[in-house]
Amino acid sequence: MSITTTHERRPLVPGRRAASSERSRRLQRVATTTGLRLIVPALILAAWWAGSRAETAGLFVADPFETFTRVRTDFLAAGEGHAFLGDATWDHLFPGVWRALQGLGLAVVVGVGIGIALGRNRILMALFQPLIHLGRSLPSPALVGVFFFVFGTGDSPKVFLIAFSVVWPILFNTIDGVSSIGAARMQAAAVFKINRWDRLVHIVLPGAAPKIFAGMRTAMSLSLIIMIISELQKSQNGLGYLLIQSQRNFDYTGFWAVLVVLAILGVVMNIIFTIIERRVLAWHRGATQQHD
Amino acid sequence: MTETLEIVNTKAELVLDGVSKSYGANLAVRSISAEVPAGKVSVIVGPSGCGKSTLLRIISGLDTPTEGSVTFEGSPVTGVPEGLAMVFQDYSRSLFPWMRVAKNVAFPLRHLKPAERAERVQEAIDAVGLAGKEHLYPWEMSGGMQQRVAIARALASHPKLLLMDEPYASVDAQTRADLEDLLLAIQARLGITVLVVTHDIDESVYLADHVIVLSAPPSVVAETIEVDLPRPRDHVTTKTDPRFVEIRGHVTRLLRGAGRPADDGTH
Repeated sequence: MSITTTHERRPLVPGRRAASSERSRRLQRVATTTGLRLIVPALILAAWWAGSRAETAGLFVADPFETFTRVRTDFLAAGEGHAFLGDATWDHLFPGVWRALQGLGLAVVVGVGIGIALGRNRILMALFQPLIHLGRSLPSPALVGVFFFVFGTGDSPKVFLIAFSVVWPILFNTIDGVSSIGAARMQAAAVFKINRWDRLVHIVLPGAAPKIFAGMRTAMSLSLIIMIISELQKSQNGLGYLLIQSQRNFDYTGFWAVLVVLAILGVVMNIIFTIIERRVLAWHRGATQQHD
Repeated sequence: MTETLEIVNTKAELVLDGVSKSYGANLAVRSISAEVPAGKVSVIVGPSGCGKSTLLRIISGLDTPTEGSVTFEGSPVTGVPEGLAMVFQDYSRSLFPWMRVAKNVAFPLRHLKPAERAERVQEAIDAVGLAGKEHLYPWEMSGGMQQRVAIARALASHPKLLLMDEPYASVDAQTRADLEDLLLAIQARLGITVLVVTHDIDESVYLADHVIVLSAPPSVVAETIEVDLPRPRDHVTTKTDPRFVEIRGHVTRLLRGAGRPADDGTH
């Protein structure tokens, strides 16, 4: 008897009713969290506005509404052939972001490549471990001068500085991910005579991918920070350059507009990253939810 | 039909000759000699930690014996031999969670042409009763179904020798019985040589044409027992057969004599 009852399905109609009340409850929950999430930004905006009205702070804090207007005119104004984007977007935002992406891309290639080599080879790991720990513990902004000295002017010192700064989380996470794949899977690969290349592409890389993505997320946030730092000196464009310029010209509205654009940039890049990650790691989300 | 097992000493497909393996001063298996005849089901049974998995690693060419040799179809095993496939104990670690069922099964067949590969995959998936589940991920399936995927993956390479390392240790009793019958049905149809390693006495006698009983470590072969139970077997008739009870009792006594509290073989 007990065996049959355990396999019994719940009756259909109460089940459906349960599902619909579940849906309305979830909707309510989403509405509540969205409402809660809006409170703090609204408070910040109010504080910002109050600050801009205040006697002393008002000298440095631009009016939020003027700031948003500046964001619109500088970054979003529709000129001809500008595809609805303003001069500042083309002259400063895009070149800087392009350098950050180049640096990030370089760091991913180098970090994942070296990480796999080290994660799979104990001797290489022992050889290079001291060097890696040394490299990681160097605060990279201190190296700005070195990179300008070695790579000259133009984009390359900035790109290489970004790559050098953000490679570490990717490298360490890749090493970690590769060693987390497990002996059983590698043994299965050996028994089924999977060649080295297929093992790398179809077992090691996907197996390490969850950790690699975690490292890339950290690296992405870091790349924006280093992007700004690299543009603060010896620069002709970029948001960092724009920050310095507006500060020197006592253009605080412009300065605050850049900050707003930076915040939006961070959010947008995070959203894009999350979309890519969800696609690539769909299996991982499913597999971990299953085992909870 | 009663199996006649006089052929054990002739035409053996896999021969272990005095295989020993030690890790440092630690002797895992000691001078194991056994023969796995072609087209039969052989089962190695022994207490936990008796070096069964070590032995399987040596047979599959993933490890080398300290002494002795393994011969497969007349040639010594140095790497993973051609025509060998394996089903691992832990399906959740040996299947690839980022591949769907069909791709998991197809993955070892990457050297084949796409059409032939697809045909083999379908054939293997049908054989284990998973038709229609090709597009699921392993983690969307029950443990028993995942182990069916692992069996399909092994069968797809058309092996001559199928090694199974405690294949049903992680599934529940009912699923286990179903998978045992599935294995026997596939073996009868394809005539492949099967070598199963298990610690379950019931399972060893139920599956086997002959059972190789290992002693406690450092393990030696305590005895090789011919199982002359008729085929096809089923869980009710075979397991109530007095001959089954007798052989099971014999294996149990051997394992108890091996000096360790062994599995009593009941589910």
